[in-house]
Amino acid sequence: MSNLLATGSSALLAFQRALNTVSHNVANINTPGYSRQRAEMQARDGAFNGYGYEGNGVQVTDIRRMADSLATARLLDSGGELSRLQQMTVLSGRVDALFSDPATGIAARWSGFFDSVSALSSSAASPADRENMLAQANSLVARFRQMDQHLDRMDVELNAGLTASVAEVNRLTREIAQLNARVGGNGSASGDLLDRRDQLISKLVGHTGGSAVAQDSGLMNVFTAGGQPLVVGTVASTLVTSADPYRPDRLQIALETGFHRTEMGKGALGGQIGGLLEFRGAVLDPALAELGRIAVSLAQAFNSSHAAGMDQHGQLGGAFFNLPAPTVAANAANTGSASLTAQVTNPGALKPQDVLLRFDGSNWNATLASNGATVPTTGTGSAADPLLVNGVAVVVVGAASAGDRFQLMPTAGAAGAISVAITDPGRIAAATAVKGSSDLGNLGTGRLSGMRVTDSSAPALLDPAAIEFIDANQYTLDGTGPFAYTPGQAIDHNGWRVVLDGAPVAGDRFAVGATGANSSDNGNVALLANLDDARLLNGGTLTLNGAIGGLTTSVGSAARQADYAADAQRVIHDQALAARDSISGVNLDEEAAELMRLQQAYQAASQIIATADTLFQSLLNAVRR
Amino acid sequence: MNGRISTSMLYQQSLNTMLAKQARLAHTQQQLATGQKMVTAKDDPVAAGLAVGLDRTLAELERYGQNANLLQNRLGLQESALARVGDAMARVSELTIQANNPAMGAQGRHAISTELKAIHAGLLDLANSTDGGGRYLFGGTADGNAPFSIGAGGVVYAGDQTQRRLELAPDTFVADTLPGSEIFLRLRTGDGRIDAQASPGNAGTALLMDFSMTDPAAFDGGNYQLRFTAPDAYEIRDSANVVVGSGSFQSGQSVAVAGLQLRIEGTPATGDVFEAGPAGVRDIFATLQGLIGTLQANPVTDAQRTAMQNSLQSALRDVGGANNRMIDARASGGAQLRAIDQAADLRDANSITIKAALSGLRDLDWAEAISRYNQETTALQAAQTVFTRMQSMSLFNLMR
Repeated sequence: MSNLLATGSSALLAFQRALNTVSHNVANINTPGYSRQRAEMQARDGAFNGYGYEGNGVQVTDIRRMADSLATARLLDSGGELSRLQQMTVLSGRVDALFSDPATGIAARWSGFFDSVSALSSSAASPADRENMLAQANSLVARFRQMDQHLDRMDVELNAGLTASVAEVNRLTREIAQLNARVGGNGSASGDLLDRRDQLISKLVGHTGGSAVAQDSGLMNVFTAGGQPLVVGTVASTLVTSADPYRPDRLQIALETGFHRTEMGKGALGGQIGGLLEFRGAVLDPALAELGRIAVSLAQAFNSSHAAGMDQHGQLGGAFFNLPAPTVAANAANTGSASLTAQVTNPGALKPQDVLLRFDGSNWNATLASNGATVPTTGTGSAADPLLVNGVAVVVVGAASAGDRFQLMPTAGAAGAISVAITDPGRIAAATAVKGSSDLGNLGTGRLSGMRVTDSSAPALLDPAAIEFIDANQYTLDGTGPFAYTPGQAIDHNGWRVVLDGAPVAGDRFAVGATGANSSDNGNVALLANLDDARLLNGGTLTLNGAIGGLTTSVGSAARQADYAADAQRVIHDQALAARDSISGVNLDEEAAELMRLQQAYQAASQIIATADTLFQSLLNAVRR
Repeated sequence: MNGRISTSMLYQQSLNTMLAKQARLAHTQQQLATGQKMVTAKDDPVAAGLAVGLDRTLAELERYGQNANLLQNRLGLQESALARVGDAMARVSELTIQANNPAMGAQGRHAISTELKAIHAGLLDLANSTDGGGRYLFGGTADGNAPFSIGAGGVVYAGDQTQRRLELAPDTFVADTLPGSEIFLRLRTGDGRIDAQASPGNAGTALLMDFSMTDPAAFDGGNYQLRFTAPDAYEIRDSANVVVGSGSFQSGQSVAVAGLQLRIEGTPATGDVFEAGPAGVRDIFATLQGLIGTLQANPVTDAQRTAMQNSLQSALRDVGGANNRMIDARASGGAQLRAIDQAADLRDANSITIKAALSGLRDLDWAEAISRYNQETTALQAAQTVFTRMQSMSLFNLMR
């Protein structure tokens, strides 16, 4: 009888515990990272009664946490990658929108500016067209600056994002180390504690990428994507931010483990931080540099053409755009006294990539900052023989020590510093600087045409020159000669070139001299209007228009690539999540069925108690007198 | 997929489906609102880059069109000014022929010279025509001030000889208006190659009727004098005053002079001189001024009358030459206008091609987008319905 009671009450207890587990599962249906639990039951050992073993009821041996370390590891991995790619998608999408929207992109203003130059070429003396060209030029450089500032602000945001992430990572690593301490040594830690640790690890990996490896003792070690330890047992490493040695305004990340410090280079970190760093290196910096390259090339080409023209005041044109020099930043650890100045000398050879210059004690070596590839250089770095790197001339002032390093940023930031140099519309040099005319008394049919300036810096460019024919086949030039004349021949003199055609006769005279003030000649502005289609970049293979289109494409494809990768990763992550949940997730229907089953079992067990009672009562009744 | 699914996963999955459908729907809505299939460059980066280039080309073509309008306007003004100059020249020829009539008296010639003065002033005004934008049409590129003015030695040209060229289609340049020097100045005298005239001091009544170049190979470009040594004999001297030929003269007979031929009628006096040589240059204003001067003289003797007649003949030839120049200038203006039209055709053809290409790159296929929109709306509604149904499905609901 007592056996019956004991068996019944063991069942009641066991089912209560199991019901409790079910209710715990139902209660945690919405708890992130919760793994469902099961009460494991086992029949109690039977008692030997001579004839055999008699059952002793049931007992709960374990509240088992339904988890599969493989599924969890997969989810962890895909989660880190997903947050990296999502970070990339969001940020690249912003740059893409900036470049694509006509209201914020460069293309519309660019087109407007060159249209205004073309308009001026149709009426070179018109004050309205001159004003318009200046206004359009100002609006173009304003757009260059706005875009540069917008991208710069994103850089500042990235710094803030890095700082916040690093603080969060450090909090998480500490907590995980503490949880490890609580779990460690305690052979059977509670499932809820393990869930919480997994949850923290997944948050951590969302920031840094990487993986978690379980130790034999149940401790979890977490490593970054590059394999550096974030948490080992109960010891947490610390992420720290520090200023870039070349650019103090930019943060980089290092890992401190004890007294050991490791710089987190490219690919060392995944997750959100990795996404931020990758976006900076793969999208933001190239876009800034390419924008700068377009601005520099435009300004350089426009200025050199503009200098060959004559303005409305009868002066040779000066610079049209103010152009900033490339930045050369010294490494904070340099020991020498050298400082470097740079100047763009050859826009055709200009490349937007940053270049590291290193002094080895006697020579300068140049490598790409991004991948360390060697960049060919010539020159020694003296003022007379500057170091030529990718179309930039670098002059070293002071003495560099061996091992000193500098970073040359040929075009980054240039778009933010460009401005229009002139404010007086009359100073737009629309006219060709020199003009030719034939003497009004000439009897021959000789004509000068196609006058253009070949060397705007020639000292005698504006000096009057005379071509005089001594007979139909010979002429003198400023009294020198005679030279033989072939119809249609080009005559080069004093930095200009003109084509002389027709049949002059003896005594015919032609004069070349400076274009006067208030000229309506459009020779120079017609050249300026075509600069956007001139192949100025990449060694004369790429036009400025092409570069603008190329920039849109490269920014767009970066965003598209990030989108695609993130979409794919989301699918992988969803699958990993489904796989994990299929083992660990709570299903309400299942719990409801379990509830009913246990409820019925409980009722049945109660019935056993009732039966025992009935048996006992009937025994009592039987013996009552 | 294994048989088990967690309730939160079930919710999450159907929520994800709804969110994804909503995102697609929003994208389609944006496409429909803008009419473009590219919302940002990432929708099709290569097409977006191409479109940037094509947009620029299209804008450039439009700008060329506006430039062409401006040039057309200026060439139209040139044409009308030159037409009026041509009219004036015709009137000058008419008046010169009238004046050349021996019956015309001093009074008549005076009236003609008065009209010629008015024409001279009118021509000067035409030569100083403006383009409506404050610049002078015929000043070349030095067109800020009036190019023609009257100076001590006649009309002075202050413009230059540069003729602007405007780009009206890619690599198609059309010249702007002609500089005034090429229209009104530098007019060749005589027949354009050679010129001959009677010396003003001739005492006889011989008229130079005609001259021509008969043998270009024999003409060395020098100046020659035909000097009558007697009324019926002449000798020819070159520019060094060396006698290079001689012959006997009969009225109306052609005299050959070093490859040239002069036809002289009338009776020359001994010592009369006719000069022949390469054509010089003279401006239209000087020709008119000379004509006016000739007409203001009052010839009394036969010799004076002959001199006037010779002079009028010579002026008539110069006016004819100027008229030809005007016709040439108008013809070249017409050719420029035609070139403008051709450039317009080229631009139109290019712009249609580019617009088609742009449309292919960027424009939305409305039928496809609208049906896609409907499809996506239906799909979203279905997903929402499934979600609400799924919510009601729980075993707990049945445990009562």
